[in-house]
Amino acid sequence: MSDQLSGALRAPDPALGARQALVRRRRGSGGRVYAAARWMAAGLFAALLVSLVVVMANDASQAFGRSGIGFIWSGTWNPAANEYGAGILVVGTIVTTAVAMLLVIPVGLGAAAFLAEFAPRWLAGAFSAAVDLLAAIPSIVVGLWGLIVLSPLFAGDVEPFLGAVPVVEWFFHGPAYGPSVLLASVVLAVMTLPTMVALSRTALRGVPLADREAALALGATRWQVVRKVVIPGARSGVAAAITLAIGRALGESIAVAMVIGNNPSIPHSLLAPGATLGSAIINQFAEASPGLGASSIVALAVVLLALTVAVNLGGQALLRANATRRALRGVESK
Amino acid sequence: MNRFRVAVAVGGADSVLVGDDERRVLGRSRAFVQDAARRSLWRRRLAGRAGRLACALALVVGLAPLVAELAYTTARGVRGISFGFFVHAPTPPGIPGGGISTAIVGTAQIIGLALAVAVPVGLCAALFLYERPGRLATGLRFSADVLAGVPSIVIGIFAYALVVRGLHHFSDLAASFAIAVLMVPIMIRANEEAMRTVPVDLWEAGVALGARRSRVARSVVVRSAVPGLVSGNLLAVARGVGETAPLLFTVAAPTAAMTLLIFSEGTEALPAAQETAWATAFVLLAFVFALSVTSRVVAWGLTRRAR
Amino acid sequence: MTENDRTIAVDEIGSPGPRHPSGVTTLGSVAARSAATRRPADLSAAAAVTLEHVSVSFGRQVAVRDVTLELPARQVTALVGPSGCGKTTLLRAINRLHDHTGGRVDGSIRIGDLDVYAPSTPPELVRGRIGMVFQRPNPFPTMSIYDNVVAGLRFNGIRRKSLLKDAAESALRHAALWDIVKDQLHAPAVRLSGGQQQRLCIARALAVYPEILLMDEPCSALDPIATAKIEDLITALSPDVTIVLVTHNMFQAARVADRAAVFLLGDDRVGELVETGPTAEVFTSPFDPRTTAYVEGRVG
Repeated sequence: MSDQLSGALRAPDPALGARQALVRRRRGSGGRVYAAARWMAAGLFAALLVSLVVVMANDASQAFGRSGIGFIWSGTWNPAANEYGAGILVVGTIVTTAVAMLLVIPVGLGAAAFLAEFAPRWLAGAFSAAVDLLAAIPSIVVGLWGLIVLSPLFAGDVEPFLGAVPVVEWFFHGPAYGPSVLLASVVLAVMTLPTMVALSRTALRGVPLADREAALALGATRWQVVRKVVIPGARSGVAAAITLAIGRALGESIAVAMVIGNNPSIPHSLLAPGATLGSAIINQFAEASPGLGASSIVALAVVLLALTVAVNLGGQALLRANATRRALRGVESK
Repeated sequence: MNRFRVAVAVGGADSVLVGDDERRVLGRSRAFVQDAARRSLWRRRLAGRAGRLACALALVVGLAPLVAELAYTTARGVRGISFGFFVHAPTPPGIPGGGISTAIVGTAQIIGLALAVAVPVGLCAALFLYERPGRLATGLRFSADVLAGVPSIVIGIFAYALVVRGLHHFSDLAASFAIAVLMVPIMIRANEEAMRTVPVDLWEAGVALGARRSRVARSVVVRSAVPGLVSGNLLAVARGVGETAPLLFTVAAPTAAMTLLIFSEGTEALPAAQETAWATAFVLLAFVFALSVTSRVVAWGLTRRAR
Repeated sequence: MTENDRTIAVDEIGSPGPRHPSGVTTLGSVAARSAATRRPADLSAAAAVTLEHVSVSFGRQVAVRDVTLELPARQVTALVGPSGCGKTTLLRAINRLHDHTGGRVDGSIRIGDLDVYAPSTPPELVRGRIGMVFQRPNPFPTMSIYDNVVAGLRFNGIRRKSLLKDAAESALRHAALWDIVKDQLHAPAVRLSGGQQQRLCIARALAVYPEILLMDEPCSALDPIATAKIEDLITALSPDVTIVLVTHNMFQAARVADRAAVFLLGDDRVGELVETGPTAEVFTSPFDPRTTAYVEGRVG
């Protein structure tokens, strides 16, 4: 995720003009093979993108042709009855992502604030390295742990507990089997947190030193500086971090598939099993009937693709806007 | 309750008060502010301490689950590790003495083939972006950014639609294709970043000395950027090794790769199967961590040298 | 001003040791003229800030060494010298900003009879008594003009709306900004021009009624017209607040400062205080030959 960040924060290259001039002068005098290789690579990559869109659209066309664009929000996913609609799955995706974000945003922001503002430098560096390492844990491993360790824990202790808490119990009623929307959201939150912490920390550190010093010079305590100057000042960077974290959460499917219970119907409680776009693709792939069934699976992937790309583009745009604003102010960061 | 009221319009061009009167009012205002500051200090500091504690707690709470997961995987996975585990092929359920050799070899084959394609493509595409800036390059870079954000499950379905349907059967080739598609955008971005950190004068010096552009790029830029390139590519490999979703749709046998094995064994109710899953998960984890740490060490060595 | 007043303002009673007239007359005449038009300095005023043998170092690198200086109350003292001599570093030591930069401050700094660096002295309270204006205007970008001005009061625990509004108006009037912004108090602060933003920062610092105002080259990022406005401000504020002004512009010091303290780089590239005294004298007939060299433009 740090390369995601650095990619969007790329400052305009100061040597660009010089390089362009040199390239123009030297055109044609490079090795033929080498130039060909470079063009081929670029071309291959472009072809890849085009084929991605074309092939998937083609395979999904059967499903879309049957239900029209309404496939995206139509309600039932019932392979037995040859009814394919992504609506419930989209709802499930949104619900799991939203609940996960509810957990990730405050915890991630708080952790990032600690690393950026309060931890001594050596500790902050060590923890940041740890965060990056933890982010590299393969999702299948987290999914395994979620299924075998967390699920019984949730069924036995956590979920009954939540069902007994006065106000919120409305969200948590019903029998607790273990695999549930709640468990999936928690697993998603656990996996998305390192990304959120790393990106938020960068956003917080980007607040200029001058703003912090101005607040200190007025007699503010360190906490007041963080609350009133640093966090508001990092608003756009944090917004970008949240958006990119959402993008990652949307795409996470294998761990979710293992703990959500594979029940494509509107969940009446967070403790009930549910399904998301990703989990449905994984869980239904093996038994999908050829023709409409398989096409519908691909159609689900298309919907997920559109959703993820839209969110990621938004996040990248936010990051770029934030970087431009910083560059225009021309200030040094911490 | 202090009902002191600071005088309006004290000082400045339209000053109502002048001279000693002004000074007196100012003095009282000053005393008022300082008094308020002193009285509120304990409250502000308490809030600060609570806030700091909350943030530290957030860090612990946020990272604890993953750390617990690591510990658990290690504790349970280590039990199943033995020399035979790596060397023997899997045995049918219920029969002891099996290992995951086919899965390890399978993963190695799939990733190896993917790398054979992805590394050169990633390198050449990054060189293209580095050397020929322009609208085409910007478009390419944008596409790489977009593709890097595509979920691996979607790429898996894409590989299914293109290769599996095209060849009419599941294959390791399809899996390698999927993994390669996954890795290339990440590598392109990492490679370009690594090249950009090379000082421009090196490149220009080479070109100015009359060397062919290809020689310059290869010998000068790539060589100085090697640590950054290695680091970035290692991270991409770590990512590729840990992927499950693309393999689910391109490969038939669960023993073809480690991640698939974890998925199939882990979802079975049999305790022996679950033990296999844990042990495999531990091996995978160890491998991914080794790659990540190596990548970081290489990058750290790079920053050390640059200083 | 009568003849006598001018004499009192320019001469110092009981000067120790011989002076060396410098060859610079323009600087000296500027200083003399401004001293003459200023109200007479209150020579009996106690020192607002006392520095004794103050050194600031970062790790093993010493930035400024062994400064002993008195900053008289309700006067403008200019810290002058070429860049890199530690003037800004010294300034920031006064309000304990080095707590956060990693600089170590040795020696003693007292405000009145309060030891700034005593372990029992809360830095927040010290900073609440001292205002600071920075080299580049730094209004809080996410806050409106009004919120910026009252930010200091809010930080120090003052919430009552009526008090905040009064203090904001007072501070903005003092900064000669009230008429410009009174109809757009809730507009974002970053919409103001550079000079206006700097005056906003001055208003923000004044709103907490500081005893001392530290100004770190406040005009260096501004055009001459904005600079003139701020210099007028400094002169107008000086009866109420002790002002310490860091500047590398000797003419600015001559225009607004009652006293000048000259800093130069020693041979070992460590900043040190070379000379201090009333501005006109330091520029026209300094004691130290190094000052003469600096004032005449031969050094720095």
